Amino acid sequence: MTTTTETETPKRPSRVTPAQLRDAGVTRRSRTARVKIRVGAVLTALVVLPVALADLLPLPDSTEQDLASRRLPPLTDGHLFGTDQLGRDLLARVLDGGQVSILIGVLAVLVSGLIGLAAGAAAGYFGGWVDAVVSRLLEAQMSLPLLMMLLLVVALFGPSVPVITAVIAVAQWPEVARLTRSMVLVEREKPYVDAARTLGLPHRGVLFRHLVPNVVRQTSLVVLLLLAQAVLLESALSYLGAGPERPFATWGRLISDGQDYVTTSWWLVTLPGLVIVLLVVGVNLLGDGLRDAVKGTKKGATA
Amino acid sequence: MTTYIVKRLGQSALVILLTISTVFVLIRMAPGDPATAFAAPNATTEDLAQIRTQLGLDGSILSQYVTFLGQLFTGDLGTSYSFRAPAFEVVLDRVPYTITLALAAVMLTAVIALPLGIWMARRADTGRETGANIVTIAAQSMPEFWSGIMLLTVFSVLLPVLPSSGFTTWSGLVLPAITVALLQVALISRLVRREMVSNLTSPYLTVARAHGIGERRLVWGYALSNSAIPVLTALGTRFAAMLNGVVVVEVVFNWPGVGSLVVRALETRDYPLIQATVLVTAALAILVQLLIDLLYPLLDPRVRLGKATAR
Amino acid sequence: MRTVMSQTAQISRRTLLKALGVAGGAAAVSGLAGCAGPTGGPPPGSVTLGLNRSLVSLDNKLNQFDAAVTVQRAVRQGLTRIGPDLTPVPVLADRFELTSPTQWTVRLRDDIHYSDGSPVRIEDVSTALEMYAQVNGSYLAAFFPEWPTVVPVDDRTFTLETERPLPVLDYLMANILVTPAAANIPEELQSGLGTGPYVVTASNRGTGEYTLRRNDRYWAGAPHVKQVQVRFVPEEANRVVGLRSGELDLIDTITPDSAEQLQGLPEVRIERVRGTRINQLFYNFRKPKDHPLAKASVRQALSLAVDGRRLADEILAGSAQSAVGPVAQTLNGSVKCGAYHYDPRRAKQMLEAEGINDGDLRLTLIWESGEFAGDTSVMEAVVQMLGDIGVGVTLRQFEAGGNISEWRQGRAGDWDILGNGYASPVGAALPILQGMYGGTPERERTRDTYQGYVNPDVLRLLDEAYAEVDPARRQEITARVQQVVWDSWPSMWAFVPNSVLAYRNRVTDVALEATNSYELANVGLEA
Repeated sequence: MTTTTETETPKRPSRVTPAQLRDAGVTRRSRTARVKIRVGAVLTALVVLPVALADLLPLPDSTEQDLASRRLPPLTDGHLFGTDQLGRDLLARVLDGGQVSILIGVLAVLVSGLIGLAAGAAAGYFGGWVDAVVSRLLEAQMSLPLLMMLLLVVALFGPSVPVITAVIAVAQWPEVARLTRSMVLVEREKPYVDAARTLGLPHRGVLFRHLVPNVVRQTSLVVLLLLAQAVLLESALSYLGAGPERPFATWGRLISDGQDYVTTSWWLVTLPGLVIVLLVVGVNLLGDGLRDAVKGTKKGATA
Repeated sequence: MTTYIVKRLGQSALVILLTISTVFVLIRMAPGDPATAFAAPNATTEDLAQIRTQLGLDGSILSQYVTFLGQLFTGDLGTSYSFRAPAFEVVLDRVPYTITLALAAVMLTAVIALPLGIWMARRADTGRETGANIVTIAAQSMPEFWSGIMLLTVFSVLLPVLPSSGFTTWSGLVLPAITVALLQVALISRLVRREMVSNLTSPYLTVARAHGIGERRLVWGYALSNSAIPVLTALGTRFAAMLNGVVVVEVVFNWPGVGSLVVRALETRDYPLIQATVLVTAALAILVQLLIDLLYPLLDPRVRLGKATAR
Repeated sequence: MRTVMSQTAQISRRTLLKALGVAGGAAAVSGLAGCAGPTGGPPPGSVTLGLNRSLVSLDNKLNQFDAAVTVQRAVRQGLTRIGPDLTPVPVLADRFELTSPTQWTVRLRDDIHYSDGSPVRIEDVSTALEMYAQVNGSYLAAFFPEWPTVVPVDDRTFTLETERPLPVLDYLMANILVTPAAANIPEELQSGLGTGPYVVTASNRGTGEYTLRRNDRYWAGAPHVKQVQVRFVPEEANRVVGLRSGELDLIDTITPDSAEQLQGLPEVRIERVRGTRINQLFYNFRKPKDHPLAKASVRQALSLAVDGRRLADEILAGSAQSAVGPVAQTLNGSVKCGAYHYDPRRAKQMLEAEGINDGDLRLTLIWESGEFAGDTSVMEAVVQMLGDIGVGVTLRQFEAGGNISEWRQGRAGDWDILGNGYASPVGAALPILQGMYGGTPERERTRDTYQGYVNPDVLRLLDEAYAEVDPARRQEITARVQQVVWDSWPSMWAFVPNSVLAYRNRVTDVALEATNSYELANVGLEA
């Protein structure tokens, strides 16, 4: 590597050495972003791929009990993660639970992204009372005891997958809305908006055909970070007994069921938790890296 | 200034009233009956009806709401069903514990995140900084009940050096505070780093450096004190948010704060207690936030109250 | 921008920052100092109990759980108590006899007094009975067919009179705790005076903590331990860890899994006794006549599919026995009526004989989280067992505070099997049979019977048993009631869990009784 660069040096009409280039802030920043994206992608894939392919993997059925082999430690009798209190294969249960947890997370983020984008864009573009209503709503939700409200709503409508998805979506829309609003506020003043208005486009057309496409890319990056939060929130709800109804074995449910065995069967709590951490770290790093990368290319566009 | 405070307080009161009203209606619409939680498991239908009358739950939600508002304005939040004591007092008994935990967590966060953020700023965009960043992100990515159980397993079971539940000794504060702080370090350290980087690369620092001021003083004296305001504000905001309940951590560690109280109140459908908890915690959180916003202009003369800033 | 800042502004800002720091620190320290004592671990001469339910009051008018009995009785006492062999033992009374079919004669001891030295009066007993009768939703009401009236004879002797014979009154009176008449109200008492070996010195409602101090003037001799600390630790995992680490000295009503985890630790001892509670997978008796579950043969067939031995020995870690009758075997007057056999082949044949083939029957099993130890695992295992004979089961788990009681009454949704525990605080079989299976058509009109169980034969026999004064004859009828109930197959499976308690070695003389309580006065501490 070094030898090749040295031979190339004279060809460059510049005093700047490759070493300096390598150490320059911009290069380092994009390298950092690259590292984060790669690590994040690997970690995410490590969890998501097995979960997605759970049905194809040669694993025992996640509901198949074997009372004779209860609470086997990991790596015994072909159980990679061991077995739970009813002799079910823990790995199969983790992958199965992951399908529900990730599904809820993805759906919740899609819904909250759409609500947040629409509300934030409307507030930023129209201002006035629309902005006032949306902003007050955002503030009110910030000062609410969120988790308690979520528990209440789940108690009210029953712990089904759609209800929990909706509840998480409602918990998360403010973040998207606030970001979208601030970006639309900036974008609104740009000449192309004026141009569109002058050409006679109605407000709705300007907003959705011109403004929203310009902010959606930034918003979608935040959404990735929200996905991580959604997975965490779902597991916290399950832990507090407001997770999806049995027989769904979500990650939070697995951990709270296993908590009673924490001093004798560590794997029942530790392994499902580790899987959550892997996924959430992966998604967070991916989101972070992508955001940094965008920042690097688009100057001045700070979130 | 005074108009601003009055306006803010008015808005806050409105937000709290809306919140408490929503909660009031939601809990009464949710399935479950306080009378069954209150009475013995073999209580008869007639018994339950009598208990509901006794608890003032026999009217429509609207009439109950009117009664509730009337009492609210006289400062009466009702009697908790399960504690059989004034709900407001039950909540006040618990508030100091949550404040203690929140304060400890915030201080711990500051103690870790400040040096870490500075260190990250001075090594911005190096491999080691990325490593530290990934570690903080990992800490933030742990479900708090899981990290809590893990800490508990290590420090209360494997090496029994720290208490696992409640707050009977000072050491009981350690594990819950760490669990809460783990979630905050990433956010705060990144903020410190960003502020420090922008200060360290700003012209005034270059001038100071040109004057021959030592690097140590540049970092710890100049850059840090100019980064302090946003960082303090962020820490204060985190504190305010924690007053709304560190529910999960309180449950894991059996911490006698408002978070575990509200879970229990929900489990017994203790309407007055739920309402009192929501009211007290929301009011506290909003007041702390207001205090922070009021202090901000005193700390930073560039900011003036009442003028909209993009927050 | 910074350079134009005036000197004064900068000073005030810096001062403000410093002041903030100081204020924050001071607030933290004072806040902490107010909350916790400086010492760690239990103070010398003190025992710390970790209860999994909050001891909301020291009274049992409304609700009662086993661990509370221990603490309640350390402060307040009844005329009798249910002794170690589940028969009534006199406490405040030195005489408690049936003197005629509808009359019991009771004499108070002459050496008893409240912890402040004031004497116990007959009036206190009569007021206590009135207050227990008046309370709404009382737990004990179901066991008292009628409330007796107190008729004083002399200043220590009185009679308890009833309209109809009440042969188990000595068992029932064990649950009526005596406190000075003037201080008694038809609600749970938060504090107040008792005759017991301990007095409450401090309580923290917020955390559910109580401090009991030794009553040095206790009429039966002061207890050994100076101070008892009662803590509320809802999570089982916290209790186990707390006992291991020495934060707690004694935890009761622990799950089989916790017992397994604590087994073999050198500093922990475990006490087990066979319990009086019965936990059931109870059938819904409000099904329409043409529903398969309305037939006893179908109910019996489903029972044959449940492997009770595996559930008891493996999932419940050997800390429970399959029931052999409708009430726990430990209760006085209970008899063995049969057994739960595991025979899935026969189960299938019996179902087919009723015209029920694979997949024809789908059942809903409901229960509330924490109804009994290991509930979830038992339910999930049952799903698989019934699945093996082609019966589908849907689980519906209710969290605490949910509306399972509405479901039980059939007002919120339809169900087939209920996971339910029935506590038996009175020690005798007859009142429990009355409470569980004595549902009448009138009571069923408001759906106040036990899951709709109304059986005219049982009702007739219960009436007979209550009217019978001769103990031997009464026992004969009581036995017949049990057989009739058993033969009607009310439960798919039922089991009697052991009461398990664990304590650290430094605590001595913990004698766990079948009622899942122990005499706090006898507990000692190793020197």
